[in-house]
This record gives sequence, C-alpha cells and structure tokens, in this order.
Amino acid sequence: MARVELRRVRKTFGGLEVVSGVDVTVPDRSFTVLVGPSGCGKSTLLRLIAGLEDISGGDLLIDGIRVNDDPPARRGVAMVFQSYALYPHMTVFDNMAFGLRLTKAGKETVEQRVRVAARVLEIDGLLDRLPKQLSGGQRQRVAIGRAITREPKVFLFDEPLSNLDAALRVQMRIEIAKLHKELSATMVYVTHDQVEAMTLAEEIVVLNAGRVEQAGPPLELYERPRNIFVAAFIGSPKMNLLPARIALAVPGGVAVELEDGARIAVPVAADRLSVGDKVTLGIRPEHLAPATEGPFLGSVAHIERLGAETYVHLALSQRRSLVLRRDGSLDIGEGASLRLSPVWEGAYHLFAADGSALPAAPSAMHPSRSPRKETTQ
Amino acid sequence: MTRDRRHNVRPLDLRLVSRLLGRMAFWSLVAAIVAISLFPFYYALISSLRPGSSLYEIRYVPSEVSFANYVSVFREQPFALSILNSLAVATGVVTVSLLLGVTAAYALGRIDFKGRRLLLLSILGVSMFPQVAVLAGIFELVRGIGAYNTIFGVALSHLILTLPFTVWVLTTFMRDLPKEVEEAAFVDGARPWIVVTRIFLPLLWPALVTTGLLAFITAWNEFLFALTLVLSPERRTVPVAIALISGASTQELPWGNIMAASVTVTVPLILLVLVFQRKIVSGLTAGAVKG
Repeated sequence: MARVELRRVRKTFGGLEVVSGVDVTVPDRSFTVLVGPSGCGKSTLLRLIAGLEDISGGDLLIDGIRVNDDPPARRGVAMVFQSYALYPHMTVFDNMAFGLRLTKAGKETVEQRVRVAARVLEIDGLLDRLPKQLSGGQRQRVAIGRAITREPKVFLFDEPLSNLDAALRVQMRIEIAKLHKELSATMVYVTHDQVEAMTLAEEIVVLNAGRVEQAGPPLELYERPRNIFVAAFIGSPKMNLLPARIALAVPGGVAVELEDGARIAVPVAADRLSVGDKVTLGIRPEHLAPATEGPFLGSVAHIERLGAETYVHLALSQRRSLVLRRDGSLDIGEGASLRLSPVWEGAYHLFAADGSALPAAPSAMHPSRSPRKETTQ
Repeated sequence: MTRDRRHNVRPLDLRLVSRLLGRMAFWSLVAAIVAISLFPFYYALISSLRPGSSLYEIRYVPSEVSFANYVSVFREQPFALSILNSLAVATGVVTVSLLLGVTAAYALGRIDFKGRRLLLLSILGVSMFPQVAVLAGIFELVRGIGAYNTIFGVALSHLILTLPFTVWVLTTFMRDLPKEVEEAAFVDGARPWIVVTRIFLPLLWPALVTTGLLAFITAWNEFLFALTLVLSPERRTVPVAIALISGASTQELPWGNIMAASVTVTVPLILLVLVFQRKIVSGLTAGAVKG
C-alpha cells in the first residue's frame, strides 16, 4: 500500500490559481477525507493525485517516488467518480475487468479478481447486466468494484455518494468504511458533506479557496479548530459565532464583552490580546443548555424538532441569534423567553480578529467536565 | 332523440370531424411525398423491363416484362467491372473517411488545443467549394502522384467530398460523450487509442453508421471526378459507365439499357440503407452517467 505526499502543490487554470501551495500527507493505509465548500479545490486536488490534471507546481510523491509526470495507471491509483462513469456498452463484468485486461493479466486472474470483488460488493448476481439496467446504488458498487479489481495502491473517491438518495447514502457510507478495513488500502475521499467526512475519516483535510485550513483527526478538528473557518465548517448545526470585545485580559484567561454588554470569562492564553481587541466568541449548539442564570438571553424564534434531537433558534437581538441543540424534545414554544448557559466554560472558543483560534490557557487544558453555571454581571 | 341531446352531441362531432380532416391532410401529404420521390424510380423500373420500341409509348403499368435490357447492359460493356470498381471505391472511401474521421474527431472533440476552432472551420471551408472549382487542382494532384486513370485516384478525390462532413458529424458526437467515461478509462490505464477504439467506437455506432452510409452514397454517386480521372472503360465507376452507355449509332440513345443499369445500381443502396437502418440504435449512452 502507499503513502501519498503533496508538497507545495499548485494548480492554475489559465492564470486562475485553484490550488495554491498545498502540503498534505496521506499516511499509508489511512482513510483521508478532503472536505470543503464547493469551489475550494478539493476535487481538483484529487484529480491532480489521479493524474487527470497536470500539476502546475510542487511535487506529488507516492511511496516516496515523484509521480508528477506519470499517467494515472502507472501511479497505481484507481478512482471512483461521482457520476459512476461506467462504460455503458459493457456488462458489469467487462466494466470491472477492463482495467485489468489492459494490464495483460491472464484470463483466470481477471475472472477470479472480478468474482472476488463482486462478492465483496454483493453484486455477483449482476455481472451480466448492462449499466442501464442497474439502480444508482448498484452502479456505484460497480464503479467501486472496477477500482478494486485493479488492486491499486491508492483509491480515490470523488464525492461518490452525492448522487444517491439519503438512505442509500448512509448505507454505502458504512460499506465504504467496511471496505477500507477489509482492503486496508490508502483511500483519499472528497466530499462537501461534513457528516461523511466525520464518520469516514481517520484524517480530515479542510480546504478553503485552494488552501489547507487544517488537517487532523476528525475529533481534533471538532474540538480544537484552528480558525473560524474550520470551526464553522465542522459540526452540524454550525458553531454559534458572536462578535465580542476584550474587556479584561489576565494570564489565566480573558473576559469578553458581547454587543449587549454581557461579559463572559474565557480561559484562553491571553498573551496576544489586549483590552479593546475585537474577537469572535464561538460555542457549539450542543454545548449550550437552558439555565436559570447564564450570559445568553433571548426569545425563541424557531424550533426544529427532529425527534431524537431539537434545535432551538434563539434571537438575542435584531441581528444576532444562537442555536441550541438538545437531545430529545424540549417543552418550549416559539416566542418564549429563554436563558442559555454553556455546559462548561471550556466549551468556548475564541478567535482573534484575523480568524485564528486562541489556544486554551495552560490551566484550562484538562477541564472538569461538570457543567458550571457562571455569571459575569 | 330530444333536441337537447342533439345539441350536446354536436361539439363532439365537430371535434371528431376536424381531427379526421387533419389526419387525412397529414396522410395525403405523406402520400404526395412518397409518390413524388418514388415515381422516378418506379418509372425507371418499368422502363427497364420494357423491350425495344415499346419504350416510347407512355405507360404507367408494365404490359409485358422482359429482362433483355439487363442482359444487354452487361453484355455490351464491362458493366460488372464498373460495379466492382464502384464497390471498391465506395468501400475504400468509407473506410478511410471513418478512420480519419474518428481520429480527427477525437482530437477536435476531446482535446483542447490552440487553433482548434480555426481548424474545424477550415475543414468546413473545404466543403464550400463547388467540385468544378477544385477539379483542375485535384486532377494535377492525382496525376502528380501517378494515380491518374486508376480507381485509387478516384477514391482519393472522393475523400475531399466525404471527409469534411464525416469529421464534423463525428466531432459533434464525440464532444457529447461524457467526459468522466473517458477519464475512467484513463485511470484504468487506457491510452488514447484504446479509449477511442474500445470505449468511444462502440458508443459512436449510430453516428458511424449514418456518416458511413452517407459517405458510401456520395462516393457511389459521384460523377465529375470519376469521369475526369479515369480514361479506360474497364476502370470506370458506375455513374460514368451509365452516362457513357451508347447505342448502335450516335443518333440512338439506348434508354432501355440506361434504365436497366440505373435500377441495378440503385438496388444495393436501398438494401444498404434498409439493413443499417435497423442498426441505428439510439440511447446507447444511457446508464453511463447518472441521468
């Protein structure tokens, strides 16, 4: 199997830089997800790895060997396309055997590998059918099967599930994860769906405007986003972000003042901050709870009840609002007044004016998880 | 029947009548088109079956059937050879046109390079010139490469007629094939030639059959180049051979023979169209990409 390294990789399309100096290392046998909003360059990056686009600058290494100028097949990559891209005039068997036959593999090898792949993907009954006789989910399995039979070093997935309906997507997501364990292959997966990213990835690379915003394990990105972009992108519903001002800065933390005058103590390292600095306060919807005392007071503007959980949209003022996420249902009506407090003070994130996250203060590194009410009046 | 009832029935009646009239108008139009396009061939057919002087009476149904004209066409000149020549020329032209057409279409339809539009337009431009305008040039070219008075020279000259539209039609079809299928083949390790032959050709079948058929008909019917570039009677193609059929004296035009020859060379074309018409299957690309 293989390790994929991108070193200062750039891609320009006629003067427009789509990927600008990306450094990413995909460890051997890992499942790495490239995620980001549309137009962030994630698909382009995948196509650069595949060899479908020429690299404008930088190096691409697979197993330590520079492969910038190698055609896709010689790189040992296989790709699963969003649109499946099956060969419409070939049967499922021929589709899966096509790449293998091109390598001049023996007839028995072809037969055996296709059968094995078909069994793994549970499409052994469909081998004689044409793509147009298959459902979307079956076509996607064939597309994955076509990748498997060639036994590539690296699997590349370009939003493979986005054409499937919701139920099938969840099922295929689980199967892809299972497949990764069975094949123990290096997989690079592109998606704009952060749920797919969180559930599948061992390693997530968040891209924005052709740059890497942050790379790391899913929970690290969730718990310690490096900047506002990652904080807002990872997690659903999005992290609540409120503009604030530094009111007090001491070595163990800072106190910020919200627009409505509420003051909140945040245990972050304050070295870079001084009183009056503009900052952004962030807190995830699941880290808020209704309380008798707390910094956020507003009226319930809208409630979304999903059964297992409930989202409450709370209007703090004309322009600012918060989302609260609660398990189960919540007995509250629209228009009611509600006060919220964080479940623990370490749940706050603080971002400097340039968008970068401020590191937690040394004393707050291992906070007690017990909810603590606090007032800052 | 009460008055009321009759009133209720009436609008329905009107609709029925107008629909019937529309239907009749449509089918009479179809009948007119069929009659106009088929009548000349029909008249040629019955003329070819009439013996000798009865040709000069105007009749629309054959009174007696005789194959004498067909026999004499093949006996009085090397007409069988002409048919073989035409077959060779047309087959060669179709093969070369499709081969060059497909490869050119791949480059023009799938690969982005500078000057592609200009190239496409100049290919189209070639077909703008009337045959007479390029005749002298073609003649010099064919003689220059020593192909004068050979069917090879004739076939070569026909390419100037068939290649532009073959390239254009195939480029249009090629451009519409899904990009991902080609990319999937690349990732699977296919080089461009494999992509064209193993992926695109099967998908282009309908277009290939259509353009190939048109190229065949063009080459089969072409007269001016074939007349100019060939001297010997045994190397003539069919249209030239028919035009040069002569009677016993210069005053006599052997209409019977000419009609028989015309019918003989039309039948293969009709058969060809009928055979391949069935093979023109659309929707082959269904199922490649989601849609």
